[in-house]
Amino acid sequence: MADPAEKTALEAKKEKPEKLGTQEDRKWPVKPEFTPEMLAEMEKLLPAKLNRIVQTSLAGCIHCGMCTDSCHYSVSIPEDKTLLPAYKADRFRKWYKYRYDWMAKVFPSFVGAQPLTKELADEMYDKLWGGCTMCRRCTFNCPMGVDYGMLTRAARGIMTQVGRVPKHLQDTIDTHYNYGNNMAVPQDEFIETIEWIEEELQDEDGCADFKIPIDKKGAKYFLTLNPREPKYYPLTIQASAKVLNAAGIDFTISSRYWDLTNYAMFNGIDPDAKLFAQWIFDEMKRLETGYLLSGECGHGYRGLRWELANWLGGVPFKFSSMMELMAELIQQGKLKIDKSVWADKCFTYHDSCNIARSGGVMEEPRIVIRAAVDNFVEMEHNREESFCCGGGGGALAMPEFSERRIAAGKIKADEIRATGANVVLQSCHNCTDQLKEIVEHYHIGAKVMNLAELLAPALVL
Amino acid sequence: MENTVSHAMYILEEPVQYICLTFMALMYAIKIYQMMKKPGPPEKAELKGDRYAGALHSLANVLRPWGMESTRNHLYFYAEFVVFHIAVALTIGSTFFIPLVPQLMGPTVSKVIMVFMGLAFLIGLRRIYRRITVPEIRIISSPDDFFAITLMTVFFAVGFGAMWLWIHGSPETGFMWIFFLMTTFFLLYVPFSKISHYVLYPFGRVMFGQIFGGRGVLNRHAK
Repeated sequence: MADPAEKTALEAKKEKPEKLGTQEDRKWPVKPEFTPEMLAEMEKLLPAKLNRIVQTSLAGCIHCGMCTDSCHYSVSIPEDKTLLPAYKADRFRKWYKYRYDWMAKVFPSFVGAQPLTKELADEMYDKLWGGCTMCRRCTFNCPMGVDYGMLTRAARGIMTQVGRVPKHLQDTIDTHYNYGNNMAVPQDEFIETIEWIEEELQDEDGCADFKIPIDKKGAKYFLTLNPREPKYYPLTIQASAKVLNAAGIDFTISSRYWDLTNYAMFNGIDPDAKLFAQWIFDEMKRLETGYLLSGECGHGYRGLRWELANWLGGVPFKFSSMMELMAELIQQGKLKIDKSVWADKCFTYHDSCNIARSGGVMEEPRIVIRAAVDNFVEMEHNREESFCCGGGGGALAMPEFSERRIAAGKIKADEIRATGANVVLQSCHNCTDQLKEIVEHYHIGAKVMNLAELLAPALVL
Repeated sequence: MENTVSHAMYILEEPVQYICLTFMALMYAIKIYQMMKKPGPPEKAELKGDRYAGALHSLANVLRPWGMESTRNHLYFYAEFVVFHIAVALTIGSTFFIPLVPQLMGPTVSKVIMVFMGLAFLIGLRRIYRRITVPEIRIISSPDDFFAITLMTVFFAVGFGAMWLWIHGSPETGFMWIFFLMTTFFLLYVPFSKISHYVLYPFGRVMFGQIFGGRGVLNRHAK
């Protein structure tokens, strides 16, 4: 339980919740279709989006077609040839060439260049929002090193700037902007939820002394969460807290800015991405914590681990994630695990694109899994070669593309089925939701769980 | 071998080539300058791997067909790629060797180059066929893609003919004239075509290697 001083502070917050997020609410003007004015504005925005990687990626494609087999869309929906990575990127590349390619100045059609018309912009919208999860699997299979993830993000950023962005995705970002987390969880409700989870945790055998500290100054780790956890998956927080307590980890959660997600990574608006990162950074400073600890969330992990420092120009603190910390604690012998808990199950692990391919966390989850289970089967494509499940890049927040998203998950569903596993482990909430949908849609008898949920029941306390 | 040619052929083989080569170099310099003046990829987070080792690893990717699924699963395609590009290097090399060090272009060396030219010609034909017939490739192809591969394929055929006559003691032939005229055209045209992809190649690979090497994704077995 919290000490009296902390309790008073928490009660004060409950009585008068602070206005989190920005002071003035924002509603991004989302447009239903491209207009000539929007296209003219896009022309003005293009140069600023062309950093060295984007420019090289736009100019460097040789149309060799080597990316064809690498994309979960083109592999799962082979009848639609317009879902090939090179084709999708060409919707943007054609416009770029029209503006910048030397040959296109004289013979635009010869090099496949096209002016930005409504038709081309519509295709760009369809393919780069609804046909790419920025998973970068094609990038890893491109002989030229074309970074499709960066290229798509640049195109999305331009479209968002003029208002042509999937409404639900933008609503998620606006909610984060206005309320400090992307599900508008009020501060008092969040605190109550955490306190309730703490009580539930303390009711578990051997956990009577376990705590989930809120706003504890000077804690070693600052644990960040995905808003889906307090909102829909409180047991995930409970599992994470159980693991951290069992290992004697000194951690805290902020009552203010605890949301590790950053959907501005998906709509390409850097000032928003930077703002959300800044809130976390400021909380780290306020609470004087040493390690920023990412919960199990794919893009959230990548945003905090790799992009936050770029957005903010460097950071003075260390970083870890639940995946890495749990592996470290197991290797240090700080967690005792009883494998018999999971003796009757067969497990596989789905590598989130942002955690593995774009994040470098590949062996740590396997250390955790092998410590907790005996029956673990890898999917055919794993680690940096893992196929995207189809839920990345904000795809789950674009209901207009849901049918294609589920269809694109077929290759992942097939690989899960081939393992014979009845539990699919992963470390990402977008993956969780997508995997649950495709497991059901493709009739696979498997449960979806994250790593803390795997470890927590097997802990010997 | 001796390169006893007319003054007109000498003009084509040397001064014209040098002027065109200078033009090509200038165009590439401008291209590289335009790219380098853009902001590079920042990576201010604490690294998990080595950006330099990653860049080297990525650059050497071309020598590791097992490194990418796309080449691992298409080894025949990869082998074609290797032969084709070796042929490109040898064919371009021969346009320097013939006028500058003709003694190097003895029958053995010339025949080796001809073998590669011949294979590259066949590969070129197959690539044209593939671009026309495979729906996935046709849908992403522009006229420049067809023109570039056709041009290269013809270049190999002409080069093969010129070399055949060269090793039979005829340094100045119609084939050799066309070979050097095509070379001249290439030097002027390539900076504006997709063939110039080799200039962007090292930049794309290095940036890829820096990002994913620094993040500990590449090279992790070597660490």
